[in-house]
Amino acid sequence: MDQQLMRRLQVEDLLYREADLLDQWRLDEWLSLFTADAHYFVPPSDVDGDTADPDKSLFYVMDDHIRMRERVIRLSKIGAHSEHPHSKVRHLVTNVRVESDGALIRSRASFIVSRAKDITHDLFVGHYLHEIVECEGALKIAKKTCVLDMEALRPHARISIIL
Amino acid sequence: MTAQTRIIADQARGKFLVPRKAFTDQRVFEQEYDAIFNRCWLYLGHASELPEPGSFLTRNVARRPVLFTRDREGTFHALLNACPHRGALVCRERHGKSPAFMCMYHGWVFGADGHLMSLPGAGGYPKGFKTDPQKQMVPVPRLERFGDFFFINFAKDGEDLATYLADAGDYLKLVSEHSASGMQVVGGTQEYAIRGNWKLLAENSFDGYHAACNHSTYLEYLQNANGALGSTPLAGVARDLKNGHALVEYSAPWGRPVANWVPLWGEEGKREIAAIYAALVQRLGDERADRIAHKNRNMVIFPNLVINDIMAITIRTFFPTAPNYMEINAWALAPREESEWLRKYRLYNFTEFLGPGGFATPDDVEAIEKCQQGYAAGGEAQYNDISKGMLREGGASFDDEEQMRAFWVEWDRRLAAVEA
Ligand code: FES
Ligand SMILES: [Fe+2]
Repeated sequence: MDQQLMRRLQVEDLLYREADLLDQWRLDEWLSLFTADAHYFVPPSDVDGDTADPDKSLFYVMDDHIRMRERVIRLSKIGAHSEHPHSKVRHLVTNVRVESDGALIRSRASFIVSRAKDITHDLFVGHYLHEIVECEGALKIAKKTCVLDMEALRPHARISIIL
Repeated sequence: MTAQTRIIADQARGKFLVPRKAFTDQRVFEQEYDAIFNRCWLYLGHASELPEPGSFLTRNVARRPVLFTRDREGTFHALLNACPHRGALVCRERHGKSPAFMCMYHGWVFGADGHLMSLPGAGGYPKGFKTDPQKQMVPVPRLERFGDFFFINFAKDGEDLATYLADAGDYLKLVSEHSASGMQVVGGTQEYAIRGNWKLLAENSFDGYHAACNHSTYLEYLQNANGALGSTPLAGVARDLKNGHALVEYSAPWGRPVANWVPLWGEEGKREIAAIYAALVQRLGDERADRIAHKNRNMVIFPNLVINDIMAITIRTFFPTAPNYMEINAWALAPREESEWLRKYRLYNFTEFLGPGGFATPDDVEAIEKCQQGYAAGGEAQYNDISKGMLREGGASFDDEEQMRAFWVEWDRRLAAVEA
């Protein structure tokens, strides 16, 4: 099969697996999809999310791997009131485009993430930018940026789930 | 106003009750616009957001679209962002640089000070039409600055900004003194909403009582993160700053980029923080430097400006559009000259605790929304208790509710005034 097509299928497989784990709240397994020096970012709506630098602009989420792990630990506790009990989450991932840059694989994909809990039901709409590397034969995520294609996080009050 | 929407305060008995109707009643909500949002000084923006002549931004303040500009000479203007012709929004961009603004409907063009520069088909109008005062963009009745903080007031008359700010002014000054070269709003705005009454966020913003329960996971996280906590205990006071403004000021174990070192920042960080502290002492003296570096402050300037000078500095405003809904904007404020390394820590600190994606704010939001839902119980469950620390000897502690009482007394006074 065409190598590029093959690559895209592998990446799609990874993204779908990631989405599925998040939907099932299997967050430890979700974390294992990432490299040990990975980052997870959610920029705000009034900067160019594709290029903004979390060290220079205020983001919603700027996690290094330590904080990603802490986020997962926190979300498993009943003291994480916003997500206790866990909300119903569904990640839709589509339009996956893949580009190789040496050993680095970059993908762009569209997402809608639905969060329903209690009296609220919110949709997060945007695109993912994943940076993916091959580690011991498996693909791992080195960086995930969730760019919201929204004017503001309203009426959403929070990004208490993982996008 | 019915008795059910007034607070009940009895200092001698240590009793302070706020009626839950204050959070749910449509009539109270409308009165709040008359009595508070249309009469108080409201935060508009920071000078650093309009960095050069020609800069502009648009922002909703108390439900009204406002255009904030700096003209060619550098003078700041606040205009109601509505065309004098037929009312369309004149500027539809969020921010940028432009010497003039063209209304997209019929093409009237306005200067940064709102004056009508040109209009197509001018021959269809009588002489003097273009300079008719009624054909110019309307300025917000009052715009004043306190340092680099700009405030507007939709009422033509009333006390000036400095008088209004009362004792809060010195704290605004204190937060500006973090820097020798001036503070700046860092790019990137957190814009979110909460499905709850706006006064719940005013209370929550300086509620020193809720952390242990509501933010247990955040506190546990800090303990986990090796070296993120120093050994300073949480301790401090609450202060009534008059006119409804209040704050809590306290020491805390977390790091502050100005200038409280924690082990996580390493030896190199220690040297940098020590240098910043030495410069603060030299510029401002021991007492002020110590407060800036080592004390945290959560302040609410009545009615809805929050300045939290904690592990980072946030400026936050929130406006209700209904009794059970508010829109929130939050910005990060930082010293201009801050090193890249510290700026990074500052933003890392900010997002760790604050905002919709932080480890704490989502649980504040949950608390606020659950209060709002609880009020539906109505019936016999009519009052909130805000009495903690009222009878404490030696004054209120940071985890009492003195600061909230200051807010509520002013709220009640202003609503009673329009009622009378
Ligand atoms: S409404 Fe603005 S030019 Fe007509
Ligand atoms: Fe809180």
